[in-house]
Amino acid sequence: MAHEVRTPPLQPAAVAAGPAAAKTGFMDRVDAALEGLWHLLTSMRVAMVLMILLAALCVIGSLVIQMTAEQSSNDALRADFLSMVRPRFGGWTNVMDTLGLFNIFNSVVFITLVTALMISITACSIHRVPGAWRTATKPRVDVGPGFFEHAPQRESIVVHASSAEALDRVQGVLKKRHYRTLIADDGTVHLYADRFRFMAFASLAGHVALLLILVGAIIGGRVGYRNQYFPVAEGTTVPTGTEAGLQLQLIDFTDSYYSTTGAPKDYTSQVVLLKDGQQVAAQTIRVNEPMTYNGATYYQRSFGPAVAVTVKDASGNVVFGEGVPLDRAAPDGSDRAAGVVQLPSGEMLAVTGTDGTTDTVIQPGQVQVALYGSSASAATDAKIFDQGKPQALGAYTVTFDREAKYTVLSISRDPGQYLVWLGALMLFAGFTLVFLLPQRRVWARISSRGAGSVLSVASLGRRDAALGTDFDDLITDIRTALQAPAQA
Amino acid sequence: MEKLSWYFVIASILWTGIAIVLYLAYALSGLRAARMRTAGMETTTTAMGIVSGPRTAAIGSYATIVGWLAVFTLFFALVFRAIATGHGPFQNMYEFSLAFALGVLVTYMYFEHKYHQRVLALIAMPVALAMMLYAWTIPSTIEPLVPALQNNLLLTVHVAVAIIAYGSFAIAFGAALLYTIQPEGGRWGLPKPQVLDEIGYRAVVVGYPFLTLTIILGAVWANTAWGTYWSWDPKETASLVTWLIYGAYLHARVVRGWRGQRAAWLLIIGFAAVLFTYFGNLFFGGLHSYSGLSNNQ
Repeated sequence: MAHEVRTPPLQPAAVAAGPAAAKTGFMDRVDAALEGLWHLLTSMRVAMVLMILLAALCVIGSLVIQMTAEQSSNDALRADFLSMVRPRFGGWTNVMDTLGLFNIFNSVVFITLVTALMISITACSIHRVPGAWRTATKPRVDVGPGFFEHAPQRESIVVHASSAEALDRVQGVLKKRHYRTLIADDGTVHLYADRFRFMAFASLAGHVALLLILVGAIIGGRVGYRNQYFPVAEGTTVPTGTEAGLQLQLIDFTDSYYSTTGAPKDYTSQVVLLKDGQQVAAQTIRVNEPMTYNGATYYQRSFGPAVAVTVKDASGNVVFGEGVPLDRAAPDGSDRAAGVVQLPSGEMLAVTGTDGTTDTVIQPGQVQVALYGSSASAATDAKIFDQGKPQALGAYTVTFDREAKYTVLSISRDPGQYLVWLGALMLFAGFTLVFLLPQRRVWARISSRGAGSVLSVASLGRRDAALGTDFDDLITDIRTALQAPAQA
Repeated sequence: MEKLSWYFVIASILWTGIAIVLYLAYALSGLRAARMRTAGMETTTTAMGIVSGPRTAAIGSYATIVGWLAVFTLFFALVFRAIATGHGPFQNMYEFSLAFALGVLVTYMYFEHKYHQRVLALIAMPVALAMMLYAWTIPSTIEPLVPALQNNLLLTVHVAVAIIAYGSFAIAFGAALLYTIQPEGGRWGLPKPQVLDEIGYRAVVVGYPFLTLTIILGAVWANTAWGTYWSWDPKETASLVTWLIYGAYLHARVVRGWRGQRAAWLLIIGFAAVLFTYFGNLFFGGLHSYSGLSNNQ
């Protein structure tokens, strides 16, 4: 709230609350401590220092590689991460990890600073609302003669006209400049004029917006749903996990490339959403065109190869007939990609794809399928399959139907994001308004002197405002108006 | 169109170079006039307290004309480039850098028009020139957009808003630099410290809402393309650093003991943060590369 508090307040009440030289009882000391705390919380200096400290932490966070949420919560992944960065940081790795430098945005220091800043913003906002409201609705019209001698911006003009005439002209100038004017007359004329009197609330909105954004982010983290890895093979229907009975079917995935550079051109997943078997949504999801259904949004994330297989049991019933994403490392430890099929019996099939033209074991156009018992760690049977040629595998008959693709979507439901976007809007609108249309306040005092009168005008702008300011323009206009010949 | 755009870039580099020479001549002429006045010779003093000699005003207005020529040639260079590529200047560092230079030039000319402090050109114009020369050294080949960047309207607005913010911060940086190098009381024919302080503030007042909007639009894009509006990506984090520093500056200006010198230092650090954010693409070890969508992100 930088702009409306450039100068000490007019009301001396806040300043006068110094330590009274009375006996200091316990409650007095509590009072003093609370008052000191409140002073600290509403201090702009404190807010500013917090911002600078946060900025310093963020600099570290942008230079030092950060763990993902999974890596920080899972010990094994965390160890993997540390051994990955160890070559770069050497002996400092453990020190940096202990200091939380790899996970700075979840560190105690960072969270404490953010919390302190938010408390500071809350306290500041609460602190300033009553004053801002009073200023907007019931401003002080008579500010006393001393103000006109000490105000940062002030001007005194001797007028060869009655005070009523002078008031009329000054008011005319202010009205033309869209100022609101309030007048009190106790022999001396007191005039108060302001513009954009509710702008303090735009600034307030900009600050409260930060709280909204943070609350929105916390809500998103607490009650939101996020699945960063949702693989679906072509022709396959998979439960989305977002709500009961909702399934997603991938009709087709296409990755296309520019013929000139070979750079990726487009990734498209043509999908259908089924609720209890009924189609409720259908869309071609692209990188910048996610699909939203019932509060959850589906994003294109990545893709890979899949194979379509059909598995029949001994009596000829189809127990599996879908695509299998080859999205994990092969069980044989090679570079090949593999996928897993869970059979109703509890047994598993591992489907391993080819490693390319140099692969002599599983050649292009072939897959290897291995059958695992429900608990056994070694395969009970394994065979190489050519496309379209069924073979027996254990008690089953397996057919490699065709090669296909799988898409990886990410699914998120984030009810907090609406607060975040509202906050973002308020943040931008608030700061834009308050900088574009800053609140302006002017006081004037007209006292009669002989046949004429003396006009004093003062404002709370900065004393050292060396550029042409609104106040200077206003004074020029007022002088011009006062010099104009009186209308008979 | 691509060739035409390139010729306009060269023209703009030349105009900016000439403008810098003229602005320098203007400043030296003003300095000479100040000495002449000390020696009791006839000079004029304008409303802003600038001392001018017989030829100073003429050199100044030539400098301004050439400055505008630099703005228009660079603007059309970017327009022709956009016609050639079919999208705004957001595909590679070459395009960003030209846009950055345009942002600095445009905001400088706007501030000159408003506050008549031509000395600021001696800092703003070299920043713009450096950006254009940097663009010259890096590949300018037009490559088709990868899927993540296929959001022409949003990203064009994002860049347009960003360069206004960055341009304003370059002006604030210029004012703060002159403020800090200036000895007590002001000398060398530079504007008064109060004037520099005020220009720095007004530049931030223009730049801050634009920076806020830049970050918000970036979050909107991230949410559309990646499904998260904020992921502490290095580029995002660095832009937050910039936002926090200028936020601190806006508060510093009304806190006793932080006005003047310390506030000016915040502006200098703030512009360092702008450059850090801008060149961050080159050295951040983040998960996303902003040039495109890698397969496993």
